[in-house]
Amino acid sequence: MNLDLPFLLHQTVCGAIAAAGFGVLFNIGFRSLPWCAASGALALAVRTYCLTGLGWNLEAASFAAALTVGAAVQVLRARTDISQNALDVVGCIPMVPGSFAAKAILAMFALTSTSTVDASETLITAVQFALRVTFTIGAIGTGLAIPTLLLRVRVTR
Amino acid sequence: MDAIENLIPEDSGSAPALEPIAMVALDAGRMLMEAGASANSIDEIVAKFARGLGADRVDLRIGYASLAITIGIGNNGITRMREVGHLGVNQRLDQELWHLAKRVSRKELSTEQTRAELTRLATKTQRHSAWVMAVAVGLACAAFGRLLKVDWLGTGPVFLAATIGQFVRRELLTRHVNVFICATLVSFLSSLLGGLGARWAGSETITTAMIASILLLVPGVPSVNALNDILEGHPTLGSARAVTVAVILIFVAAGLWFGQVLLAHLH
Repeated sequence: MNLDLPFLLHQTVCGAIAAAGFGVLFNIGFRSLPWCAASGALALAVRTYCLTGLGWNLEAASFAAALTVGAAVQVLRARTDISQNALDVVGCIPMVPGSFAAKAILAMFALTSTSTVDASETLITAVQFALRVTFTIGAIGTGLAIPTLLLRVRVTR
Repeated sequence: MDAIENLIPEDSGSAPALEPIAMVALDAGRMLMEAGASANSIDEIVAKFARGLGADRVDLRIGYASLAITIGIGNNGITRMREVGHLGVNQRLDQELWHLAKRVSRKELSTEQTRAELTRLATKTQRHSAWVMAVAVGLACAAFGRLLKVDWLGTGPVFLAATIGQFVRRELLTRHVNVFICATLVSFLSSLLGGLGARWAGSETITTAMIASILLLVPGVPSVNALNDILEGHPTLGSARAVTVAVILIFVAAGLWFGQVLLAHLH
């Protein structure tokens, strides 16, 4: 195990800020923002622990983080005055691999250029990034859906 | 599931009683969908409204751009359709709709009162001010930047670029600029500002700073909703959402590419 605590704390705080910022964008009220921050912090803490502490790959770590957030939100849903869908999705927003998606599409643009230097390497880069985006979003979506599908209690909302 | 003979409507002249119930339930579903809800939530809320207003049977079809409902009371039934507008994210409206659904399902409100409440929610639900939203998004993108290993010198420019980008995006959307064109314009502006700022500040992670500056445009909620919808038995809606997400990402990347090309020329 090779866990760097200051790095874990840094990632957790950044996850909390990113989730709370996107909470404002999604028009969540100020009183509910701490829940969004907690959700983002939990997601990034679990993902960072799995990545650096356990040595998992990004997709597996994202799946574990989304699963944890989804389960925590299911348990806490009665205490928060915010829709469950919002809370778990906002928490996982910092894990959405937007930069990989941008890099994948840029690599595809480069591939179609007439002055491509190393086409096969560019193609492999594009495919690698595209696959990572697909698998990571799949992992996040599946991780969030499993607790909902397993633990959904049909309470009156 | 109801037997087919129970679902065949009779022409008994009772359609006017069913019509307002169908339209109010559809409106609630449309508003929730436009507020960024997943298909299961829409299904659930429409059923709550329709049953709370007196319907015995409710069947809903959820498309990307329209909702269609069949409701029945006794041996009578009608089918109606409603167009759905731009799919954004508005959690306060989502929350208010669920509170209203609770009251309707307890049969506290008539159809007319429910319609009036929906109109009030559509017009009166508060939103954060443009500046609060822009600063919050700027902070979020700066945090994203740190997660992507942008150095501290590049973090300030990311904050400023994303703040300005969000402000411009909101202005463009209020002027009804096409969402895809808007994504390219904002991506170009934010990435260019982020790149120029990071270079001016002496950052060594200029490319990553440019990417972090445009992360406000990544459609995170629709992409998670797309997968949720497929997993929960709505593959048509989920696929439509996934295609929209992919096209938005292409337009965002095009803006980033233009930004990178211009920054290289300025250098």
